[in-house]
This record gives sequence, structure tokens and C-alpha cells, in this order.
Amino acid sequence: MTAATSPLWSNGSTAVIHTGTWRSATPTHNDLPSPCHQACPVGGQIARWIGQLRDGDVLGAWLTLVEHNPFPSVAGRICHHPCETACNREALDEAISICRLERAIGDRAIAEGWRYPEPTINRSQRIAVIGGGPAGLSVAYQLRRRGYGVTIFESQPALGGLLRYGIPPYRLADDVLDGEIARLLDLGIEARTGETIDADAFARLRAGYDAVYVATGAAKSKRLPSIDPARPWVIDSAAYLAETNAGGQPRTGHRVIVIGGGSAAMDVARTARRHGRDVTVLALEKETQMPAQREEVVEALEEGVQLVDGAMLQSVTEHDNGSLTLHCIRVDFVPGSMRGEFTIEPVAGSEFELSGDAVVPSIGQQADPAPFGGGDGPLLGVDDAFRTGLDNVWAGGDVASMERFVTAAIGMGKDAAEAIDRAMNPGTAAIVDAGDAVPYAAINTYYHPPLARTEAAVRPVAERVMGFDEVQLALDAEAALAEAGRCFSCGTCIYCDNCYLFCPDMAVSRLPDGYAIRTEYCKGCGLCVRECPTGAIQMRAGK
Amino acid sequence: MQKIDLVDRDLFNPGHAACPGCQESLALRAILNTIGPDAAAVFPPSCGAVICGPHPYSSLQIPVFQTSLESAAAAASGLRRALNQRGKHDTTVVCFAGDGGTYDIGFQALSSAVERNENILYVCFDNEGYMNTGAQKSSSTPLHASTASTPGGKPSKKKDIIGILAAHGIPYVATAATGHMNDLIAKVEKSLTIEGTRFLAVLVPCLDGWGLPDDSGVSVSRLAVDSGMWPLYEVEQGHRYTLNHDNKTRPVADYLSLQKRYRHLDETQLAEVQAAVDQDWAQLRRRAAESTEARASG
Repeated sequence: MTAATSPLWSNGSTAVIHTGTWRSATPTHNDLPSPCHQACPVGGQIARWIGQLRDGDVLGAWLTLVEHNPFPSVAGRICHHPCETACNREALDEAISICRLERAIGDRAIAEGWRYPEPTINRSQRIAVIGGGPAGLSVAYQLRRRGYGVTIFESQPALGGLLRYGIPPYRLADDVLDGEIARLLDLGIEARTGETIDADAFARLRAGYDAVYVATGAAKSKRLPSIDPARPWVIDSAAYLAETNAGGQPRTGHRVIVIGGGSAAMDVARTARRHGRDVTVLALEKETQMPAQREEVVEALEEGVQLVDGAMLQSVTEHDNGSLTLHCIRVDFVPGSMRGEFTIEPVAGSEFELSGDAVVPSIGQQADPAPFGGGDGPLLGVDDAFRTGLDNVWAGGDVASMERFVTAAIGMGKDAAEAIDRAMNPGTAAIVDAGDAVPYAAINTYYHPPLARTEAAVRPVAERVMGFDEVQLALDAEAALAEAGRCFSCGTCIYCDNCYLFCPDMAVSRLPDGYAIRTEYCKGCGLCVRECPTGAIQMRAGK
Repeated sequence: MQKIDLVDRDLFNPGHAACPGCQESLALRAILNTIGPDAAAVFPPSCGAVICGPHPYSSLQIPVFQTSLESAAAAASGLRRALNQRGKHDTTVVCFAGDGGTYDIGFQALSSAVERNENILYVCFDNEGYMNTGAQKSSSTPLHASTASTPGGKPSKKKDIIGILAAHGIPYVATAATGHMNDLIAKVEKSLTIEGTRFLAVLVPCLDGWGLPDDSGVSVSRLAVDSGMWPLYEVEQGHRYTLNHDNKTRPVADYLSLQKRYRHLDETQLAEVQAAVDQDWAQLRRRAAESTEARASG
């Protein structure tokens, strides 16, 4: 059609006028790290997988999770969740229930029988992993995915380490652990259980493998100077949990005194309650200072554990009838600058006594690095890349670190696998997490109206103390979806189109996988940055 | 998060001369793309007339007729009839006028077009003053707002244009704001299903004229709504009131304190503005409730 035209008519488009020349600052779409990701011991791209869950892509969410951690079901139950402490949403109402979401996805994967993708390459190098706990399993998994041949040597009859022998089933059910370990082994990882590696065996492994990773954990219980461990009423904490977790019922007196304020002390105390004992926990710390997770302490008290906090055992008197008198004193506990460091000041004249039949010192675990070139020190020394002083020997987990958290060990395994991969095959790109986390101020909360955190149910106390069923119950699919909907997705583009449709200048174009700024038109007003609900756009000075 | 429900059909071109962050061009983009390509527009002198583009360029992909400041509704009436003569009854005729061209100078043409119930959509981009010529006051300027011609603050209230048009018995009149984009789009869509004169007043915070940062237009318009300064509502057939955002959650101070045009406000003046808003809000809610009751009783 040829339209009639007149010189009076404006038939041209203003698109020929490039208003981008007005601009002094330019918006850029950059996915930035979220605070939860920065805090996560495994660097777990949390905003990404929560977004996938919210979009109904549970499999995609699981695949993102297991990039970093082969144990989402385990971590979703027992992680100390520094991610939730770091969550930006805390400043608006309450942090996202990240652990429960991770558990929901992990449990779905077990129920559906989802498997890992086969490694895309097979490499000739073989790696020996000593210790089948969280760090060893994590490094084995990450190396196998990268194509290496991996053999795990585990002294115990089954894999899992602390997860199996140290954490009671009411916190971590056996079938969950078994499910996640079985899937990991299915990748083609060899597991040799019941094989203890001493110094000679270690030398043979070094000769026979291209690299060795030491992750023997910290299996020895620390001694309490005030009591003689040879006395029959002194019970080893780790041995007690190993036996009870395997279904045994150790013979102890009726009144059990657990000494310690950490997770292991809570585990012993709550397990003994489930065996019908009267249990008292004696902790140096005040209740709020105890290193155990807060909810463990609360649940222990709910279950009838007696807590005597801010107090220290000085000596024990044995009576002829087998009962004990524990001579204790109140103390002021002052935490030190490093985890595990502290000073105590006994309060003069505050002595008191406790009666009991058995004492379980549960004040922490010691590593034994001696067979692996560790000398007499408490830990096997490693550098930033988890390399020990010996050639081609790496280490991680509790044997190499005082950071005694399961997910920290899993993260160390992941990082070491990346370091081993780079050492075995130079040229493998280093993975870097660049940039500061997105602050709360970058989130436009108009798009996130206040909404209470979805709390998962907890088993009633009366049922809890009757057995070893899980205390913390799962979020159902609907609740998980609602909780995922609360996530700010800090720093992660959610393709909401706000930047595109709120632009008065048509200066944002939509691409199949995101957006681009049309710099020939963008006037630099910053409206797209302001109206981005997730902080995934920033202004930078200049054109 | 609720997404903006707009399909951009590229009916508004980039390269236009609106200020950075302009809320009027943002609203224009949403409205043009909601109406679609089968439309013709009338612009009286206004920011919009500048945004249309310098000759020989246009920022709109539909025909535009630029008319005098007094006569937008009259020109639209003529355009409507001419299109009807050519059988183009389905082509939407839309006026895009400022508040000066609507509340003041173009008012008699608007009033008589509504009285004749001309089949046009009239959009008023309300930035509460003559912003295009240096921010003088109009009869839309709110109480105590400072303008170039009322430097000490305007002593009179903003004219109730919605009430005036409702008194004409106009088929559809509504308010909208750029911060509530889906509400704006829904109102444009609704207006397209109605025969006769339809009027939409869109609050477009003027960054320069009100003294606001370039990136703040959308959030400030939301504060206008949340404070009750600019309630979102519609009136059908002159008497059926519907309140679209029945949630006045903030004091007016939250809205006013961001704007340089209210910088001089003292406590007494602030209290006066708050009292006037509270009174208008109560009246609006009463009318909406009465309309609901009337509908319920058939």
C-alpha cells in the first residue's frame, strides 16, 4: 500500500535519535552472589536452586544442589545453616527456611530414585581417599564426576563416618544416609571398608595411586583431666554413640551425667533419654553460649534432659554401692577469639554436688594425624589448596581443621577435589567467586510483602523419647513451594521483565536467556535498577 | 511475585525526548501497547506533545494529531466522526493530554464532549502542574505544593476532576498510577469494552517538577497510592464507585517528604494535608460501600 504523504507529516521514527548520549551511568545485569551463598560452606548457589524449586523444576534444583554437595538430604537435616543466619530476608521478617527446602529436594530425589549423570570423561589417574566420612565421600564424589578413578578406604564396616557413627537416627535417619551414599557409589567409586590405613599402608597407597586424600576425621574422644578414663563408670562418648546408632543399648547406670555443651553432648544426652535414663548435662558454658545448635539444646530440654550450665567438674567420689558424687563448681565462661578457645574463672564458694551412676565426657574429638606425616600436632597441616607437606597428598575434614561441622567438611572435600583436579590436569580453570554479596538495601521489598516463615512440624515430645524416629519433620511439597516463594533471590535474575517493561525508553531488550541494555537509547535513569526485585542490576559510572 | 501483564508491541519508539526516568512516557508505553495498533491519537500542547517527537519524526507507531491546548476533546470528537464516516468504527480514538490541557485550558471542550458522550478514550497524564513550561501551578496542583507561580505553596485544593466528570454521568472514569502497572493496563482494557466517553487520570510523578531522583517515579507513585493522596478507583455511569486499592497504609508525610515541592511544609500545613486526605478517603470509601450495597440489593 502506498500511503499519501505530505511534507507536513512526521513519517520518520524517533529511533534514529540516540538518546544514549545523555547518559552518565549505565545499568548492567550481573548475577551477584547472595549472602547465603557466601556463607554456605559448600558454596551452594542457594538463590539459584530455590528459584528452580519455586519454578517447579525440582530436578533442576537437585542438580544444582549436587553440583556442590552430594548430601542434600543429610545437610537439610543437620547443617548448622550459616546461610539462614546470613539471609537478607531476616531484615524484613524472618530468614528463609533454607535447610528445610534443601531437605525437601533431597528427599524427593531419594524417593524418585534420581541418579547422577555419568562422568563425561574417564581419566587414567587414580586417587585414594582415606576415610569414608563427609569430607572423604565429598572429595570422592567430586573427583569421580571429573573422571578420576577413586577408591575409598574406611576402617569401619560401613561408610559414613561421623554421619553414621556419631549422629543419632532421630536427627538423621539411616535410610537417608544409605540412600545418598549408595547413589554416590553408583557413579563407580570403589569402597574398601574394614581397612585401617596405618603408616605402612599409607606409604603403599602413595606409591600405588596418583594422589591420596586423607580424611580420617577426629575419632578419639578428648580426655577430661578430672577423671580416670579407666574407671568402669566412665563411658567413651564416641563409642557410646557408635554402639547406640548401630542399635545397641550400652549398659550404663540409671543416672547418666554427660559433660560438654556441644552437639555430641546433646546427642549422647538425648540418646540416653531414649534409653530411659535420667540424664544431666554439665556444661562449662552458659546455656546461650553452648556450641550445640540452639534447637538441639531446646529439644533436649523438652525431652527431659537436665541442664547444669556454667559449671565444671572438679572430682568424683565413688561409693561402695556404685553410685557417684560429682564435686562441681560454678564458673564464668569467656569465649576466645577462635572457635574452641575459651577461659574459665571458677566462682569462689560456689561448690556443689551432683549424684550419678555413669559419666560420659563429651568435650570434643581429637584427630590422629601421625600416620599421615602429621607428627605430634593436633591436626594435619594443609595449605589454602588443602595440600599437605607430602607430595600428592591432600587432606581435609576434621583431621585438618578445627571447624567441626559436617557441611564444612563436605565443602573442604569439594575444594580439595578442585585443587587435585588442577594439579593432576593443569589447565583446568580455577573456579572463583567474585564480588561482594548483595546487600539488603539492593532488594526492592515492594515485591516481597512480609510473609511468615513456613515452619515444619516437630514430633511431639512424648513420641520422641519412646524411640529414634526423626524429631524434625519434613515440609510437604506445598509448604516447600510457599517457602521458596519467600526467597528474595538476591543477585539472581528471575526473568520477571520489570527492567524491560519499566523502562520509559525501550532501552532494555529481552534475550532468550536474559536482558541487554540498548546503550544507544538508555538515558541512565536507573529505574530498572530500582525496580529490580532481586538486586541483579547495578549502575556503573560512565557510558 | 506478580509480573507486569503487558505485551509490548513496539508501538512506542525509543529516541523520544522525555526526561530520564519519565513516568509519562512509561505510562504512554503501557497504554499504547494495550490499545494496540488500530488507534489514532490527539495531543494538545503538553510534555506528551514533545515526547511525540520533533518533525519529521514520531515516537508513536499510530497516527497522531497535534491540536491546540483548548481543543483536545473537540479534535478527538471530530476525528471520531471522520473515522466513523469512513467505516472505521473500531479504530480507537485516544486523547493524551496533560492536567493543564484537561483541568484548565481544555476543560470546556472535554465537558461538552462528555456531555455529548463522544466515543473516545481521554487519558490525562496528571503531573499536577504545567511542567513542560517551567512547573507553574494548574488547578490539579495539590494543596501547599510549591510551583514556579506559587513559590510559597498553593493555597487551594486540587480540583476533583473525577467527581466533576462523574457528575456528567460519564460511562467510565478511573484513576491509575505507574507504580500499579497491572491496574493501569486492566483499566485501559476495560475502557476499550465500553462505548461512549471514557476518562483515565494517570498520576505521573514529574521528577524535575516535583524534585525527585530519576529512578524514583514508580516507587513515589506507589507512595501516593498508599498514603491516600492518589486513591485508585473507578466510577461507572457516574455513580458506581469501586475502590481498587482499599489499603491506605501510610501517612502523607512519607510521600511528601521525598519531594522538593513540599520542602517548605510546616507541621500545621502537613496536618492540613493529612486531614484533607483522610476526609476524602472516608468519603470515597463511603461511596464505594454504598455502591456495593446498591449492587447487592439489585
